[in-house]
Amino acid sequence: MSERVSSTGSANAYDVIVIGAGANGLAAATRLAQAGRRVLLLERADALGGQGAVLEFAPGFRAAPLGIDPGWVPPAVARSLGLESLATDTSDAPLSVAVAPGSFLTLSRDAGRAAEAIRAHSAKDAAAWPAFTARLHRLADFLGALYQTPSPDVGLTSMADLPALARLALKYRGLGPRDMIEFLRILPSSVWDLLDDAFESTPLKGAVAAGGIQDYRQGPRSGGTGYVLLHHLVGAPAGMVRGRLPWAGGPGAFTAAAEAAARRAGVTIRTGAAVTRIVVRDDAATGVVLANGEEISAGAVLSTADATRTLLEWVDPVWLDPEFMHAVANIRYRGCTAVVLYALEALPSVPGLASPEALAGLVSLTPSVRALEKAADAAKFGEISEHPHVEITVPTLRAAGLADGGKHVLVARVQYAPYALRDGAAWDAARRDALADRVSAAIEAVAPGFGGRVRHRVALSPRDLEERFGLREGAPSGGELGLDQILFMRPVAGWGRHATPIRGLYLGGVSAHPGPGILGGAGWLAANRLLEDGRGGKGRS
Amino acid sequence: MTPRYDVIVVGGGHNGLVAAAYLARAGRKTLVLERRHLVGGAAVTEEIFPGFKFTVFSYVVSLLRPEIIRDLDLPAHGLQILPLESTVTPLDNGDYLAGWADPDETRRELCRHSPRDADAAAVFGRLMHHMAMAVKPILGMVPPDLTSLSPRDLAGLLKLGGHFRSLGPERFHALHKLMTMSSADYLDEWFEFGPLKATKSASGIIGTFLGPRSPGSAYVLLHHYMGELDGAFRAWGFQKGGTGGISESIAGAARAHGVTIRENAAVERVLVKNGRATGVVLEGGEEIPASIVVSGLDPRLTFERLVEPRELPDDLVDAVRRFKFRGSSGKVNLALAGLPDFTCMPGEGPHLRGAISISPSVEYLERAYDDAKYGEFSRHPYMDIVLPSMIDPNMAPPGKHVMSIFVQYAPYDLNGGWTDAKREAFGDAVIDTVSRYAPNLKSLILHRQVLTPADIERMTGLSEGNIFQGELALQQLFFLRPLPKWANYRTPIRGYWQCGAGTHPGGGIMGASGRLAALEILKAGS
Repeated sequence: MSERVSSTGSANAYDVIVIGAGANGLAAATRLAQAGRRVLLLERADALGGQGAVLEFAPGFRAAPLGIDPGWVPPAVARSLGLESLATDTSDAPLSVAVAPGSFLTLSRDAGRAAEAIRAHSAKDAAAWPAFTARLHRLADFLGALYQTPSPDVGLTSMADLPALARLALKYRGLGPRDMIEFLRILPSSVWDLLDDAFESTPLKGAVAAGGIQDYRQGPRSGGTGYVLLHHLVGAPAGMVRGRLPWAGGPGAFTAAAEAAARRAGVTIRTGAAVTRIVVRDDAATGVVLANGEEISAGAVLSTADATRTLLEWVDPVWLDPEFMHAVANIRYRGCTAVVLYALEALPSVPGLASPEALAGLVSLTPSVRALEKAADAAKFGEISEHPHVEITVPTLRAAGLADGGKHVLVARVQYAPYALRDGAAWDAARRDALADRVSAAIEAVAPGFGGRVRHRVALSPRDLEERFGLREGAPSGGELGLDQILFMRPVAGWGRHATPIRGLYLGGVSAHPGPGILGGAGWLAANRLLEDGRGGKGRS
Repeated sequence: MTPRYDVIVVGGGHNGLVAAAYLARAGRKTLVLERRHLVGGAAVTEEIFPGFKFTVFSYVVSLLRPEIIRDLDLPAHGLQILPLESTVTPLDNGDYLAGWADPDETRRELCRHSPRDADAAAVFGRLMHHMAMAVKPILGMVPPDLTSLSPRDLAGLLKLGGHFRSLGPERFHALHKLMTMSSADYLDEWFEFGPLKATKSASGIIGTFLGPRSPGSAYVLLHHYMGELDGAFRAWGFQKGGTGGISESIAGAARAHGVTIRENAAVERVLVKNGRATGVVLEGGEEIPASIVVSGLDPRLTFERLVEPRELPDDLVDAVRRFKFRGSSGKVNLALAGLPDFTCMPGEGPHLRGAISISPSVEYLERAYDDAKYGEFSRHPYMDIVLPSMIDPNMAPPGKHVMSIFVQYAPYDLNGGWTDAKREAFGDAVIDTVSRYAPNLKSLILHRQVLTPADIERMTGLSEGNIFQGELALQQLFFLRPLPKWANYRTPIRGYWQCGAGTHPGGGIMGASGRLAALEILKAGS
């Protein structure tokens, strides 16, 4: 109430303030600047990139802790940002799973080669594999189409949306009767059932199932893990059942290209600028206040921070309806992933692994769906898995520049490490080290002598991920991918189209549709929405 | 020779009986064939021990569709639902949580534990009421085939879309949450008192192989409110004479409309000629011709046992193979010399005329589920206990009682399989756990019957002992129940229909599947 400064649109230096310079913030800012808006992009950290940020975790060793799967840039976003030429590393990034110490099943992206490897475990599964992966990709493709449009919603869909809806309906029909049904059947299914119905080989099922629990505090037996598996396959190349291809120029390539695009479009970027408040006057967002007290005015604000921080921490509650706030407060984040980074003197030697190059792909150390489920059991009671699911990759095999002097980096993604520990226990150094010790032991079990090659080890608990990356509850998902928190229910029911109850305030981060791993997807849709609504002035034309 | 019957219904469970009654009411000469010596399927009352009558498999009723009660005039045929007075959850600290018939009393009780929850409960109840209203039309709808472009299916889809639109965004979103969330997460948004959340979430797991934290379990919560909606009786009721009395009343109505019911008549298979059903063969060889055969059995029996798989398309055979049954519950029936004395509510009281729920916390239920996930029965299971003899004294000799304990989880696929020893160990786990709350129980037991999912399968025929004829999970509901393209009660064999709980809307003693199937058959024939 103390703000009495009258600010009119014309007096503002900026039309739109975009908060957060991750993939979504960069995409949104670029889109808006291209449309003629004067855009200020504010980033809390010193470096850009958000979840894709590369950090030097030990002298001479760099990694993108959350970048094991670099994500997918929707074609419309790539066009808008001029990133079509950004190359991915198309060398085979196989998925391997430890069957037993000294024995691995390696699934090449080439379905024929993968089938060959599977044959050692089951001829039946080998025969079924190519059709299975092809189906997953067809279904993920349809999801990809859904992810490039505002999500259809009962009561919110207007006549203007009909062409887009009709295109989606046609695309859905285009799946054909069998896949139309499979799509609806798989979304609420568990990966456990999905894989049991398709295969008999234990390690094969284990390898694929881990995609259904990625950053999700549920086990593979829980309904909805079928959707999570598909979600992480949107935009993945044929044959891959976990994640997308890395950038040819290393994990930082996307951020560098997106930043260049933003600057080309005329976006002003400020780093080290943490927002502490969004200024609202007469139900409309009119600017932000930074941690140093500086107030910046603008005609509109687009936040790529999570919905809870944006709406419940930065906006004065007087502007929001209690029911809406209740809904936002009920968003489930539930971070459950920890990351352990290793600085290595030399490449680990992994007996039984097809080739050293397999370490450039993803190597899962969990041999069965059952073991994944067991690991999940602990998390629902707020406990850290006794035998966590660990998956590793050595990014320096593709991007040697991540480590100086020909040395290597190994990144381990670990589940389950629940953010909220039982009885409010703290994620202190002792707990974090104990977890990292379990991870080291799991790697040592398949790579004898691993410990001797480790020069530095840095473990990031969900609490650390929250602090470093600004992820609420340490959740890279920005709200877990339950079926009640996606599409028109994301971030909360009725507000799936990137606007908020506050005029001129938009949500364009992973909290919003289409969610995590779709680089720039939410930011681009939110920017479009802002432009459709005619917010942030007309800009200087 | 003209067949004596127009329609043969295979299986005299409540859905088969409802279908038969509706068909006969419309003038079809209908024969019901039941394998056992009595009708009712899983809804039967039997005198297991001399003088002690048990609702052997099921235990309470809330879902029987009011239109069926009305159309078939079931009260005239003996339907009499007596209300269950209460639900009491004994707590581990010696206290209890009770819900009573009188809302004011329930409110006072809730206030004792959490005034906030007492307020929330009222709002929650209203929302559930609206949600039940929103679901009700869907329960009465024949699921369309969404891959089809036929006018009938497109009309069905439009009707469904129109229904969702008519709900408005708020209710549609609330319904979406109920359909997809876990019951524990859903209740976390409303309540704070653990045992309240546990007891409510328990109704979301009954009969399914899900834990309260498994997504998809919230939907079953709604069922509790479905009965209330109709105003005919409160949330849960108890049929006079046991659940078998419901089956008897439907059978009575069916007979009154001219249905012939043959017990001890097990159908060996359905006769199919040129892709068309022509009748059935009984075990023993007797052939009975009819132009329409309706299976009230579950999808596995309907498609794998009664007909030859070669009569069916491959994708259907695959889909049947993938259909999940996964029986997860058992039943313990006790003949008691007297009344159990619950520590939390000593002596005889109104709580003994209601349900006793062993659900002290969500974690308790979730741990019970974890045991079952890995092929063990729950060491400390969830239980819903009723004493039918307290409501209907004819169920037991004077002064004595019957206790009906619904138990979860008891996985059908027990590690090493179910043996007599395992069954008794399971029974002991149940009795030991109840005895923690009612220490005198063991001294009262005159007889006990322990039923595992394997027993339920053997006795009723229900595949894997699933009391709903197939898991009530989202991927097995509506146009996916039991199979895509064949959710409209038809089968690829002309004249061969399905009407069991394995079809939409399935589960619970609802009768809706039987009714919808009969109406479809009549529509197709006219």
